[in-house]
Amino acid sequence: MKLSSNRDKKALIIGIDGVPYSLLNTYMENDIMPNLKKILSQGFALHQTNASVPDISSVSWTSFNTGVNPGEHGIYGFTDLKPDSYSLTFPNSKDIKAPTFWEILGKADQKTSTLFQKYHKKISHPYRSVIFNVPHTYPAWPMNGILVSGFVAIDLRKATFPESAYSYLQSINYLIDVEAEKAREDKVAFMKSLFECFEIRKKAISHFFAEESWDLFFACITETDRLHHFFFDASNDKENPYHESFLRFYVELDKFIKYLYEQFIERYSEKGFFMILSDHGFAPVKKEVYINRFLEEKGLLVLKNEGHFYERVDHKTKAFNLDPCRIYIHGKDSYPRGTVEKEEKASLLKEIKKILRTLKGENGDEVIDKIFEKEEIYHGPHTPMAPDLVCLPKDGYDLKGSLEKKEIFGYNIFKGMHTWHDAVCILSENIRFSKKPSVEILTDFILQYYSQ
Amino acid sequence: MDHLTRLENKSIYIIRESYYQFKDIAMLWSIGKDSTTLLWLCRKAFFGHIPFPIIHIDTSYKFPEMYQFRNERVKEWDLNLLIARNEEKLKEGMGPNQGSKLDCCNELKTNALRLILKKYHLKAILLGIRRDEHGIRAKERYFSPRDTQFKWDYENQPAELWDQYQSMVEEEEHFRIHPLLHFTELDVWSYVQRERLPIVSLYSSKNGKRFRSIGCVPCCSPIDSNAQTIDEIVEEIRSSKTSERSGRAQDKENIYTMQKLRALGYM
Repeated sequence: MKLSSNRDKKALIIGIDGVPYSLLNTYMENDIMPNLKKILSQGFALHQTNASVPDISSVSWTSFNTGVNPGEHGIYGFTDLKPDSYSLTFPNSKDIKAPTFWEILGKADQKTSTLFQKYHKKISHPYRSVIFNVPHTYPAWPMNGILVSGFVAIDLRKATFPESAYSYLQSINYLIDVEAEKAREDKVAFMKSLFECFEIRKKAISHFFAEESWDLFFACITETDRLHHFFFDASNDKENPYHESFLRFYVELDKFIKYLYEQFIERYSEKGFFMILSDHGFAPVKKEVYINRFLEEKGLLVLKNEGHFYERVDHKTKAFNLDPCRIYIHGKDSYPRGTVEKEEKASLLKEIKKILRTLKGENGDEVIDKIFEKEEIYHGPHTPMAPDLVCLPKDGYDLKGSLEKKEIFGYNIFKGMHTWHDAVCILSENIRFSKKPSVEILTDFILQYYSQ
Repeated sequence: MDHLTRLENKSIYIIRESYYQFKDIAMLWSIGKDSTTLLWLCRKAFFGHIPFPIIHIDTSYKFPEMYQFRNERVKEWDLNLLIARNEEKLKEGMGPNQGSKLDCCNELKTNALRLILKKYHLKAILLGIRRDEHGIRAKERYFSPRDTQFKWDYENQPAELWDQYQSMVEEEEHFRIHPLLHFTELDVWSYVQRERLPIVSLYSSKNGKRFRSIGCVPCCSPIDSNAQTIDEIVEEIRSSKTSERSGRAQDKENIYTMQKLRALGYM
């Protein structure tokens, strides 16, 4: 019996965490990624995209997964403060306020969003998805299909739905993530473990791809982001001792993309929906910039000596920063020791913006590229919890939220930093953009495909 | 052979094998139900007298019931007890309310252990870790080498083959051996029940609450339960669905999350 045409719809989405548009371009030109180049010649186009603001994996992937901006999905970073307090909390999948595209496809209706409103009636029947290693999907939750959470997943059992997926992953000694702590001690061993982690990831992805039934398959490769954090300086520098390993990783990635793509085409011919995307780009780090130290020096932040993290925020504080550059006004109505009155807020924001513009590097070059007030970039029911200001730096200046630093500028072991403006996506060449796309608008194309 | 006897045999085999491979071995005893079960298995393996020392990592924040239980067993079972304390950090006032909980665990547990292993030139330790305990531990094998930084060096992990342990140790490394890995929480309680093992009273319900997992006072919270006897606990575990460490789980997860984020330069 022939199934209806809708039931034949299949999609393959490959996430490549932290891979920049510019790097893919270079590697295709230099023949490091010949297979990707070949795929592009078969009816696909490469686009430079913007990440979410801030350009942090948890925010950017959640923006893609839900197809809405943080004002609607409620995720602004890896860390947040609990309401009306200074205690640090780690938002996880339970804090995502909007439905993901696989929930919309699976016809789940516990949550709503603008994207949900647009599509839920157009999806004719529930589609089954496999969602693999996508950041900020931990803990895994029940869905129509299989979910294996990505970063920051801690407990493998809680990172898998259903239980049978856990048994399989346990049987192959699956690794949720490479131990990035290791990079500090032994970079050679760390590089080796990146390849090993990629191997086990490929094994698990190939298993679910071949053995499970699905309508949509979405898998993320996250080793790329780790590789970039610690070795991005090796990406184009032939003298760098890690250059060859860096290229070898991309050669392997290219092969794996080819493998998945060919399997996909073989089974579903040209009718399927194919997409590759990253959540942000990368650039080499010149210096880390400790925004809280800068605020301290300008008298806007006063820290007490006792307490953990933000519990140190004193009543004299006007503003403080959370990673990477999310500035919150210490409002009287929002924090136990807050003193800034509502009426003062607008002028204080103006002042902080002005001060941030004075932040200059060694050569007098600008550190801050863009400053947004929350209402400019966020919209939706969860905008009130957004940071009051979000800054994006010039490439090379990695903005940080540390409260411990005694200098504004510093160095760490990291060789790469996230960039907002240089993420990438590969889509059918029939899809055209009138302006540079941002990560959360890409989701619409998936749902469009399934509702046609 | 019944299920529990099979588990017991497997553990005893690993314990004996480990002792013959490494003479410089010790067992880590947290006073909790798992390592007390392991202690019991060690006694059985050597017919009542354990030929190696037993280490208790004393953070000084343990429950009074635990210290009492420890001292009673040491006397009754004639144990060679070594107490691991990071005196220097304790003197400096290290505790859960000073610095982060991560630092506290690191200094008073990990470093305290490191110090005592060094002092007694120990090459291997036996631990009561179970595979079903916490997802992060699901990847542990019976033998898992740690390097001098106490990092789990999974690259040098020997293949886990039942009759063929790789037991040559590189200089300065110590081996962690997990003879209880194949036990589940329910297996442990069923074994405690069968063997009539003494267990710290904190596991029994008082005023509708009991501990399902014990450690340091500030970092443990009891669960709602009316199970007072071992039989009642076994029955409760059999029908329960929440994870054992639910009292401690969130704290632990936050610590791991923080570690993961810090390693990538966040926070």
